[in-house]
Amino acid sequence: MCDQTFVAATFGPCDSCGTASPLMNIYIKNEPINYCSFCMEVMACQGLQKGETLATLKKECESLKKKLEEDRGKLNDVELHQVAEKVEVVGALSIKTRRVLKGHTNKVLCMDWCKDKRRLVSSSQDGKVIVWDGFTLNKEHGMSMPTTWVMACAYAPSGCAVACGGLDNKCSVIPLSLDSNENCAAKKKTVAMHTNYISGCTFTNSDMQLLSCSGDGTSALWDVESGQLLQSFHGHTSDILSLDLAPSETGNTFVTGGCDKKANVWDMRSGQNIQSFECHESDINCVKYYPSGDAFASASDDATCRFFDLRADREVAVFQKDSIVFGASTVDFSLSGRLLFAGYNDYTINVWDVLKGTRISMMFGHENRVSRVRLSPDGTALCSASWDNTLRVIDIFCCFQA
Amino acid sequence: MSGKMCSSSNSIIQAQKLVDQLRVEANMERFKISLTAADLVQYCQEHRRSDPLLTGIAASSNPFKDKKTCVLL
Repeated sequence: MCDQTFVAATFGPCDSCGTASPLMNIYIKNEPINYCSFCMEVMACQGLQKGETLATLKKECESLKKKLEEDRGKLNDVELHQVAEKVEVVGALSIKTRRVLKGHTNKVLCMDWCKDKRRLVSSSQDGKVIVWDGFTLNKEHGMSMPTTWVMACAYAPSGCAVACGGLDNKCSVIPLSLDSNENCAAKKKTVAMHTNYISGCTFTNSDMQLLSCSGDGTSALWDVESGQLLQSFHGHTSDILSLDLAPSETGNTFVTGGCDKKANVWDMRSGQNIQSFECHESDINCVKYYPSGDAFASASDDATCRFFDLRADREVAVFQKDSIVFGASTVDFSLSGRLLFAGYNDYTINVWDVLKGTRISMMFGHENRVSRVRLSPDGTALCSASWDNTLRVIDIFCCFQA
Repeated sequence: MSGKMCSSSNSIIQAQKLVDQLRVEANMERFKISLTAADLVQYCQEHRRSDPLLTGIAASSNPFKDKKTCVLL
């Protein structure tokens, strides 16, 4: 629930006393509850244990927070780059833009690769979603969405559908037909419905379920076929800007990052927020899991990218430089997790050595902000999407061949 | 008025939720960074060979590399 925007938005019979009055709409353990304000107070006071008051709750809050900080601090016996001292340095990288994908008429906001390693889908402020063949530059499908600012798009694991969403507050799944003459947009099916813009979406391990996150501060798991809400996740106190699913071996969790500067890790089955990290000094624009699933990286408007270890429950590295003053909007790891690619609002992409915490390389080429970077599924190329209306497929080589 | 009445019960519910959430987080089992960082480094090293960006790939197998044009002799 986005607490700070509470207004009695609905009027109707109260679930508890039945009288028609302005209703408070809240969620308790993911169940929506619509009570009038009087019944709400009664329920709240009944829920208190004997002797508990607001003051004692607040005190317990403070002491728990302190305990958490202490516990986390005890584990900080060594820095990541110290453990990685003996690891050999990554050789210089040779970088070349192989393809420039032109076709969008406005800022490209999001892109995703298909598992076949050659197709990709991109979405833009111009309201269009385009499926490209990355080798031939052919536009295989072009679909118009009902609103501009399609902020999120994702390719289905089977390669047979794409999901997209944005200012329409909905995430739709569009099956891709092999017949290029057929109008794909006509078969569009609305799956996710939020009360604010969709900032991110991804399929889970199959085409059957979709995870979405939104500017309304919630994320949700949906069944694609029926459009049914399977689980909703509440806890962020402001817009969520990004989500990422844990790599399949590690199970059913995902991480979200948002404008409340927090990165939260969620259990998909219970809806519970299992871990929370508040280290950034500004909005978190992007979160991405480390390939092993034991850590994740985040990119933020505070011009840093940070690396969080899930088992130690703390931040273990900060990727920053005095010369980098513009916000980072996107991150992705290389296949082994050694390299971190981060796109910034100063039009560049920086390549960081995750273990040593140093910058290896800088990439130029875009003429506006880099909104998304994603490594191809086989790890051979990086695709970057930008506000300069283009996408680039970039080849990266290690100059010293092993 | 109604805003004030709501805010007191609202803040009790909020505080309860926060305390519950913090209790869950406080009970989590955590490991020392020396152990977890060693695992992260080990993962990188183990997968080094399969990361094309670290070990390089032959030009012939790179699908994005420009193909040389054919020459008719």
